[in-house]
Amino acid sequence: MNFQKKRCVAMLLAGGQGTRLYVLTENTAKPAVPFGGKYRIIDFPLSNCVNSGIDTVGILTQYQPLELNEYIGNGQPWGLNRSHGGVQVLPPYARSKKSEWYKGTANAIYQNIKFIERYDPDNVLILSGDHIYRMDYAKMIKYHEEHDADITIAVRKVPMEEASRFGIMNTNPDGSIYEFEEKPKQPKSNNASMGIYVFKWSILKQFLIADEEDPKSENDFGKNIIPAILNSGHKLFAYDFEGYWKDVGTISSLWEANMELLGTDPEFNLYGDGSAPIFARNYALPASYIDVHSKNVNCLIAEGCEVYGSVKHSIVSTGCKVSKDVVLEDAVIMPNTVIEEGVIIRNAIIGEGCTVRSGAVIGGSFREGDKRQIAVVGKDHVIEKNQVVKPGEII
Amino acid sequence: MKNVMGLVFANIYDSSLGQLTNKRTQASLPYGGRYRQIDFTLSNMANAGIRHIGIVTQYNFQSLMNHIGSGEEWDLEIGEGGLEFITPYSMGATNTFRGKLEAIAAASDSYIARGKEEYVILADAAVVCAIDLEKVMDAHIASGKDVTVVVKEGIANGSKQLDLAVRMDENGEISEMAVDYAAPEDYLASMGMFIMRKDLLRKSAEECVSHNRYRFEREFILRDWDEGVLSVGAYCFDEVALFNESTEEYFRNNLAIIDRNIRHSLYREGLTIYTKVRDQVPVYYGENSEIDDCIVADGCILLGSAFNSVFFRGVKLSTGASVKNCVVMANCEIGIGAQLEYCILDKDVKINAGVKLIGTMEHPVILNRGDVV
Repeated sequence: MNFQKKRCVAMLLAGGQGTRLYVLTENTAKPAVPFGGKYRIIDFPLSNCVNSGIDTVGILTQYQPLELNEYIGNGQPWGLNRSHGGVQVLPPYARSKKSEWYKGTANAIYQNIKFIERYDPDNVLILSGDHIYRMDYAKMIKYHEEHDADITIAVRKVPMEEASRFGIMNTNPDGSIYEFEEKPKQPKSNNASMGIYVFKWSILKQFLIADEEDPKSENDFGKNIIPAILNSGHKLFAYDFEGYWKDVGTISSLWEANMELLGTDPEFNLYGDGSAPIFARNYALPASYIDVHSKNVNCLIAEGCEVYGSVKHSIVSTGCKVSKDVVLEDAVIMPNTVIEEGVIIRNAIIGEGCTVRSGAVIGGSFREGDKRQIAVVGKDHVIEKNQVVKPGEII
Repeated sequence: MKNVMGLVFANIYDSSLGQLTNKRTQASLPYGGRYRQIDFTLSNMANAGIRHIGIVTQYNFQSLMNHIGSGEEWDLEIGEGGLEFITPYSMGATNTFRGKLEAIAAASDSYIARGKEEYVILADAAVVCAIDLEKVMDAHIASGKDVTVVVKEGIANGSKQLDLAVRMDENGEISEMAVDYAAPEDYLASMGMFIMRKDLLRKSAEECVSHNRYRFEREFILRDWDEGVLSVGAYCFDEVALFNESTEEYFRNNLAIIDRNIRHSLYREGLTIYTKVRDQVPVYYGENSEIDDCIVADGCILLGSAFNSVFFRGVKLSTGASVKNCVVMANCEIGIGAQLEYCILDKDVKINAGVKLIGTMEHPVILNRGDVV
């Protein structure tokens, strides 16, 4: 087929199992987990692509892809329903002789070399599907091209005492990377990789093929591809990013990131400066009704809700019902959940489509100085009348 | 209902809605926090499986076209049929349509005849309701009548002028019919919705227009029924139907959806109301906000207090501002300490800090689009 050349194609790794989100990813791929009242995690990197002028995105799926596939659809909500490019969901190939799962992040891209080649791109942008942030990739690609880099890796400064939890890039004064250390015990710097890479496609392709031929390789970007390219004397640059960025791969980080949307000057402002909106698939729901007895304080409530109870420092997602005498505090309620009368929910995440019957108590208060325990209820659960879900309990 | 096409009249009551329809059709009047009135009409048709809809419009239709676009929100863009705008000039007429019959006659060959459907449903966007049109169609077929008009009880009150009103006998047959009449309470008001065979509509419209008759209700339905050449049945709709034919009705009915029963009748299972999608952030309620009995659409930032009001998308309500019994359209900004009662704020209105505006239920204060006070 004859396709027009693209300057940059984005490949979004959405295949992670998300085991640290427990019940929330039981039947849902991590990038499809609801976030911030009306979004799903994948809306953030996808919107970043659109806002950066990238119109060709491959989404690599593996575990529980059904909901994610349906959510992405033809890409219309993100303006990615294009005849040339647009968004494509790329599950592992079912080839004529063998059907192969993606063995690792690098193998996922390797299996889709043909997809990328159709666009003959100069660069390929590799993204993760489990980060909340707003970033102009165009600036990073410009930096990459200006430095004639083979790989540019986005990094952000983390506190030195936490640096041993990350992949650390040690750089020269000009920004070039001389060393990459995965979770170093004694970190030399605090430039943590954000899992966002711009590769020169010619170089990446060459190393993907070589990596695939190495039976000992784990076929992983961080463990194999990047060290191999670095060790063969290619040019790697670090690109400093200063805005908000959060890996929402754990229950506590997912809860925190939701809470960080709250306030008149939130840590992560969903509005931004208006130039880079976050797009999402919108459903046909009426505007929300807020009853006379409700009390909503410092919270986000999405459309299609009916709120009769009190919502404090919480997120209530699209299509929820919060009945009379309900108390929500420090809670994340995912879409289409019904909370019946008198329920108390504190420090908790309630999955999509749940019913919490009257009088139930989920989670508990948080005392300053203690470790915060987040109670979690998985998708489509029914919590029975007067049932108690203890702080930190996951069901 | 593949066998039915829709015909929607977008400008019917423009003139009685004053400044609200200065720059838009009645069909594109905002309603219910995130809708335009025509969303209900189009969704009712789309939900009944109608896939071929013509929208007749002649003035101020830019905002309407912009709202409806290709019709994809209603799944109407698919293949042949879909959605079409019928304007005087696109139909080769040299003047605006004087009435529905002229519009129908003008579109008869070029548009109405084109589809394969045998039936047509005519409607306007003045009456907001969620109606199962398949039921209406079934009743029409069962009745064997030439025309079925959808009617509503409890609207006629002796003072409201009705386009068409009917009185029924004990057998459910129409015994009396009146047009442009402030009918007494025992009349049923036409909801402006009619079902009939397409060939009958085309033939009748062409004949009427050739005799210089252009008023649909008066010069076709009533006249032919009176002369005994047209059989007309009535379908009584028993859910909520809100007639927005004047500014006062529009204001009252916008606030009406705050009522649970009305809201739940308009948003019923299986009768989803579709509208143009916008990417707006969920509503933020501030630390000291006090929002009671309100309808709130996405994108609002509410820091002040509000009671019995409707907020469309993207409204900013500042700290200390108070809003009571108001309809606040998209992207309005209400400054610190401002006080509003019984107001309609059209889109993009800015109320400066401390401003006080008080209207009444019968005479709300109306601010035009983009006004700064």
